[in-house]
Amino acid sequence: MLQAIFYKEWIKLRWYFLLAVLVTSGVAGYCLLRMDRAIELKGAAHIWEVMVLKDAVFIDYMQFVPLLAGILAALVQFMPEMQRKCLKLTLHLPCPQQRMVFSMLASGVVLLAGCFAVNIGVMLAYLPTVLPAELTRNILSAAAPWYLAGFAGYLLTAWVCLEPTWKLRVCNLLIGALVVRAYYLAPVPQAYNGFLPWLALYTFALSLLAWISVSRFKAGKQ
Amino acid sequence: MIRISKIFLFVTLAVLAVWQLPWCYAFLTTKAAPSRFVMYSSLLDDFILTGYTEGVGITRQDPAGHTYSEHEVDSLLPLFYMRQLVADERFPDSLFGVAVSPREVQQTSFNFRMRPSAVNAPQTGLYFLLESMPKRVDLEMPADAFRFTGEGVEFIVMDTNTPDAGKSARYTRMLSDKGFRFPPREVSGNPTTMKEYDNGYLLLDADGKLFHLKQTVGQPYVKPLPLPDGVEAEHVFLTEFRDRQLLGFLIDTEHRFHVIRADGTIVRTGIPAYDPARDQLTIFGNLFDWTVCVSSPGVNHYYALRADDYALVKSLDVETASDEVPGLSFTSPYDRYVRPRF
Amino acid sequence: MSPILACKHLTHYYGKRKIYEDLSFEVSRGRILGLLGKNGTGKTTTINILSGYLKPRSGECLIFGENIQTMPPALRRNIGLLLEGHVQYQFMNITQIERFYSAFYPGQWKKEAYYELMRMLKVAPGQIISRMSNGQRSQVALGLILAQNPELLILDDFSLGLDPGYRRLFSDYLRDYARAEGKTVFLTSHIIQDMERLIDDCIIMDYGRILTQQPVGQLLDTLRRYTCRVPEGYVPRLPEAFHHPSVVRGVMETCSFLPPAEVERVFAELQVPYSELKAEKVNLEDAFIGLTGKY
Repeated sequence: MLQAIFYKEWIKLRWYFLLAVLVTSGVAGYCLLRMDRAIELKGAAHIWEVMVLKDAVFIDYMQFVPLLAGILAALVQFMPEMQRKCLKLTLHLPCPQQRMVFSMLASGVVLLAGCFAVNIGVMLAYLPTVLPAELTRNILSAAAPWYLAGFAGYLLTAWVCLEPTWKLRVCNLLIGALVVRAYYLAPVPQAYNGFLPWLALYTFALSLLAWISVSRFKAGKQ
Repeated sequence: MIRISKIFLFVTLAVLAVWQLPWCYAFLTTKAAPSRFVMYSSLLDDFILTGYTEGVGITRQDPAGHTYSEHEVDSLLPLFYMRQLVADERFPDSLFGVAVSPREVQQTSFNFRMRPSAVNAPQTGLYFLLESMPKRVDLEMPADAFRFTGEGVEFIVMDTNTPDAGKSARYTRMLSDKGFRFPPREVSGNPTTMKEYDNGYLLLDADGKLFHLKQTVGQPYVKPLPLPDGVEAEHVFLTEFRDRQLLGFLIDTEHRFHVIRADGTIVRTGIPAYDPARDQLTIFGNLFDWTVCVSSPGVNHYYALRADDYALVKSLDVETASDEVPGLSFTSPYDRYVRPRF
Repeated sequence: MSPILACKHLTHYYGKRKIYEDLSFEVSRGRILGLLGKNGTGKTTTINILSGYLKPRSGECLIFGENIQTMPPALRRNIGLLLEGHVQYQFMNITQIERFYSAFYPGQWKKEAYYELMRMLKVAPGQIISRMSNGQRSQVALGLILAQNPELLILDDFSLGLDPGYRRLFSDYLRDYARAEGKTVFLTSHIIQDMERLIDDCIIMDYGRILTQQPVGQLLDTLRRYTCRVPEGYVPRLPEAFHHPSVVRGVMETCSFLPPAEVERVFAELQVPYSELKAEKVNLEDAFIGLTGKY
C-alpha cells in the first residue's frame, strides 16, 4: 500500500523532481563555477581570505533556491489533489487516512531530500578540491538552514494547499511566511550551529499541520 | 493526532507572537537614541560629554554641568582634536611640560573597539601568519593558511590546497619546545595588510598559558609570556598599535583587564571589570591618558586611565536608555548565533 | 435483514441556512436507490455526509452498521465512490491508475472488468486522464468501481457532463452489473430520465425534507396527474394530498396519490367547480415535477 502511495506521488512529482534536481544543482554548479573563476582570476589565497575574514560563502545565490524548490514541490503534489476535490478519492481508499496523508508528505520529503542530496553532492565533489575542510564546512553550515527552509516551505505549502477554505488559506500563508523567516536570520557560516538540530526537529514537526487541513477537509469546511 | 497537531499550531502561533509583536512594536516606536560622546581631558581632569539635546542642539559639558564651547573643547582635548588645532594654528608645543609634536601624537594615539558579538562568534579555525619582518615596506598576505590540530600546527598551501609538511613540522616543534600544549584555547591576531607592522598571534594554549607567535624572516618565533600569580587568562586581544608599546590586552577569568607590554610583562589596569562576552569596549588612547568605555546593558562606564601605568584616574557612569521590548528573539547584538532567547 | 445504509435524524446547516432537519432513510441490500431533488435541496450535502466528507450538525450515517465518521478504514474496501463529474486522478493514464488502485484492493480487484470497459474506449495506453473527454473519463471511473467490486456504490450525479450516448451507456452498464451481482447503489442525478431506467427505489427531496420514499414502480403506479376545467379566476385551495395545484387558462393541474374516485369525492366535498376531470399515469420526470413543483 505504501508503495502504491509513493507510486502515485512519484507520477505527480517525477518530471518536477527531474527539473528541480537540474535547476537546483544548476544554480549550485553556477555558484561553484563563479568561485572557480574567482580562484582563476584572483588566486585561491584571495578566496580563502575573504571566506575566513569576511564570512563570504560564495553560494549566496542558493539562499532561496531550496525554499522555492520545496514550495513548488508541494504545489505540484497537492494542487492536483485539491483540484475538483480529488483528495476525497485518496482519503476514501481503504488505508488509514493519517497514514495516507503522512505517507504522501513523506514521499515529497524523500524526493526533496534526494534533490538536495544531489546539490550537496555537487558541492562536495568540487569544494574539497580547492578549499580546506573548515571552509567547506562553513559553506555547508551556511546552506544548512536554507535546505531546512526547503523542507519547511514544502510542509507549510502542503498545509496551505490542503486547507479547504480560502480565508484560512490566506491566514496559513501569512503564518507560513513568518515561520520561514526564522530560517533566514543570518546568512553566515555556523550561525545556526547549536540551534540547527532543534530547528530540524521543528521543521519536520511542521508536517503535523497538514493533518489539521485534512481534518477540516473531511469535516466539509467550506 | 488532531489534538497534537492543534497544540503544535498554537505553540507555533504563540512563538510567532512573542517573537514578531515586540519586533513590530520596536520597529514602529524606536527613535534614534540620544547618544553621547565622552572623552577624558587631562587638562580639565574630568570628562567632557558631547551630546545632542532636543531643541538646544549640540551641548558640551562636564559632569558638574559646566558648558563649554566647541572652541574650548578643542583646546581641552588637544590630542584628540589635534588636526583641528593644527589647522587653527593653536596646537601647543608642549603639554604638562613635555614637548609634543603632531607626528608624535599621531604615532601614540590609538583607538580600540571590541564587541561581544566578535567574541561570541563561531570560529573558522583557519589563520594567516604574515611575515613580521618583510623585505618590502608593505605587508603581504602569505601564500598559506594554518590550522591547529590536537597535535600541532598545520600549514596548508592555498593554491594547491595541500599541507606544507616541512613548515608545519618546524612550527609544531618550535611551539612544543617552548612548552605549548595543543590545541590552543584562544587565538588572537589581525591577519590583514592594512596595518603598520605585524605581530603575529597571541595564543592561549590548552592549559591557559600565554604565548606569542610570529614569523620572523620565514622562521617561527615563539615566546611564552608568564602570567602574574593568580591570573587565569580568559581572553587575549592582539593590538598592533602604531607606537609598538603594547602586544595586546588580556582579560582574566575574573574580568580584570591587563595590558601585555611589548616586552611581555603583564600589568593590571585600573579598569574595575570588563566582560568581553557581555560588554562592549572602546578605548581612545593617547600620550597622556586613555578614555575607556565599557558599555553594559543600561549603563556606560567611563574610565580615565593614566597612559604610563594604566592607573584609574577618574570614572563616570552614564545610564543609557534601553528601548528593548521584552519578547522572544533569535538574534542578539551580543553574539553571532541564531537561537531562541528571551 | 439490517439495511446496508442508514441515515438517522440528519440535520445540517450551512452557517444559518438550514439544509434539512431530522432526515432519516435507509437502503436495503441489493437495491438501487436514487435521490431526487431540485438544486439546493441537499443532494450533494447528503452524498458528502454519506461518503464521510461532511460532518452533519447532528444525526449519524451508518454503512454496514458502522458510523461513517469512525468506520475502520478496511470497511471502505466495500464502498465504491464516484465523485461528481467522474473525477479521477487527472495526471495518470489508464494503466497507471489501475495499477495504483489495485494495490488497495488485494483479493477483490477485478482487473478484467476494468480493461473490458477500457477496450471499448478509443484511448491510447499512455493518454493521461486530463486529456480525455468527459465520456471517456466516466468510463474510467466506472471501470475502476467495477474492478473494485464493492458491496455498496455511492454515485454523485453520474450524468453530469455526459452526452446522451455515454449517459445511456453508463446507466445500462451500471444497472446490469448491479442487478447481476446484487450490489446496493445509492445515487443522485439531475437528469431524471436516466434514473427511471436504473433505479428501484427513489427518495424525492424538497427543501428541508423528504417528500416521498418508495419503489419507483409503486410511485408510478399510484401517482396520477389530474386535470380538470375550472371557471376563469378560480383560485385552488386544496388539501396537502394534492401537490402543487395550478390553474392555466381555465385548466387546473395537480398531482396526487389519491385514486380518481377519492379525488372526485374530495372535490365534491370541497365544492370545487370542476368539470372534465382526467386522471393519467406519469413517467418519473413528470412525477418529480408534479411532486416538487415547477418553481
